[in-house]
Amino acid sequence: MAYKIAVGSSDSVNVDLKFGEVESFLIYEVTDKVELVERRAATQKHSDSNVSCGSESCKPSSCGGNGGGCGGADGVIAKVSLIDDCRCVICKKIGFQAQKQFEKKAISVFDIEIPIDEALKKITSYYDKIDNHKSLRDGGL
Amino acid sequence: MAKLLDKQRYKCALGAMQSVQAITRALPILHSGPGCAQKLSESIGSSGYFSPNIFPCTSINEKDVVFGGVKKLNSTIENALKVVDADLYVVLTGCIPEIVGDDSGEVVSRFEDSDKPVIYAPTAGFKGNNYKGHEQVVDAIVEQYLKKSEKKQKGLVNIWADVPYQDLFWLGNLRELEKLVSELGLIPNTIFGYNRGIENINKIPEAEFNLLVSPWVGLNNMKKMERKLGIPYLHYKTLPIGATETGKFLREVGKFAGVDEQKVENVIKEHEDYYYYLIERYADLFLENRVINKQFTLVADAQYALGITKFLANDLGLVPAKQFVVDDTPKNRREEITAEFKNLNFGLEAEVSFETDGYKIHEEIKNHDYHGYPLILGGYYEKELTESLKGNFLNISYPVQDKVVLDDSYVGYTGGIRLIEDIYTVAVQRFN
Repeated sequence: MAYKIAVGSSDSVNVDLKFGEVESFLIYEVTDKVELVERRAATQKHSDSNVSCGSESCKPSSCGGNGGGCGGADGVIAKVSLIDDCRCVICKKIGFQAQKQFEKKAISVFDIEIPIDEALKKITSYYDKIDNHKSLRDGGL
Repeated sequence: MAKLLDKQRYKCALGAMQSVQAITRALPILHSGPGCAQKLSESIGSSGYFSPNIFPCTSINEKDVVFGGVKKLNSTIENALKVVDADLYVVLTGCIPEIVGDDSGEVVSRFEDSDKPVIYAPTAGFKGNNYKGHEQVVDAIVEQYLKKSEKKQKGLVNIWADVPYQDLFWLGNLRELEKLVSELGLIPNTIFGYNRGIENINKIPEAEFNLLVSPWVGLNNMKKMERKLGIPYLHYKTLPIGATETGKFLREVGKFAGVDEQKVENVIKEHEDYYYYLIERYADLFLENRVINKQFTLVADAQYALGITKFLANDLGLVPAKQFVVDDTPKNRREEITAEFKNLNFGLEAEVSFETDGYKIHEEIKNHDYHGYPLILGGYYEKELTESLKGNFLNISYPVQDKVVLDDSYVGYTGGIRLIEDIYTVAVQRFN
């Protein structure tokens, strides 16, 4: 079964961005192969894509509204929703707020700093095993 | 297909965190999911300086399954050493890290040079239950911490018995065994409970012999210590309860240790005089209540099933119905334990079944003709069953919810008297 993985990377080689720093997610699609299918911009989230809410209730920016700075709940929810068609997200760090929002949508979070290739290899091997009821022990991950 | 186990009476091997906790100032460090310790801990006297809620834990999650959890384990041990003041740190692994192949042993070996000892016991649940886990912890201490000693202390004997916390009477039992052994003029050494700990662990190699009082738990440890530390062992299978068995126990230990026979007999006589004085005073009570419980059944781990069967048959003259051993005794030990059940006074023999399925046990009890009300000593699961059979019930083995045990004991002469008190308290409540 095909699924997508969102990655936070500045150079398309390493997972090197924190969730909050990501301006555009690399979206990989996993079928019988793994390929980069999309770069999904996160910066324009409120103006044109209206990803998470009706246009009326959305403020142009979640920053500064209540003096809470950037990254309040609304901002996080919007960014999480942007990639909620993915099975998991890989970033260097992912904050607690965002982790909880992903958890709510049953999207797995991997906060780790390694080359994208290696991360994808391990994660796809893991999903292959659990999807096909294979033991995690066989052949390592 | 996976099998369901009805009314299970033990936990996974990681339950050995309780064995570690029973060693004063020893701290378990768990390499497991965040819920394991919570599930395995119970409010059975496990709070204190360290308690299950504060055991350092790697709390591994999906990410660690995919990418490995060794880094987390390393930092958890490192920080535990910094912030928790313990004498011995024992890393225990749960199922997940062992399935995905974390090399926990390698991580632990990085701490060989730390000021405090850090050792590692693999206790994945799929390797067995907490009886096995307990053995793994003792093994880890012997293998990774202890060194052979050229110096031996005359008369020093290490005493090993069943599993702390799994056996709610563990503390009282160990202390009573110590007392008995010291009356023979020997010096007992145990590692569990109050006022014991790393000092006692350090003394282990200096002992003249190991005394194991258990049908099977710990036998592997004894063999390991014999090989590595050169300590011979006496394996005494029956937990001695009451005059008959305690007398046998003292004679055998005395013989093994080379204690003067007359001295042993004097100790036995003094205890027996008092013991039978008590029995004699209540002889009428026992006779009256005899009619209500002709036969008894134990549903317990091998230790209590065997120890109490012998006590009730030999000392109280009750007749055993079928006995159930529920600790998943290793198959290669079952034959010799079964033989012990046949070795009772008055030519009595007890039939024994090694069965872990509570449903089957209850069916067998229901279908047995006890020739009157049964006396059933078992786990809390047997309470309702016994009530439905109008029998007398005493909760002596895991799970114990019917009794609060601080340092009570069912070992030796006093342990026998305590057990008589408990059984006949139940019996007289029926009429009052």
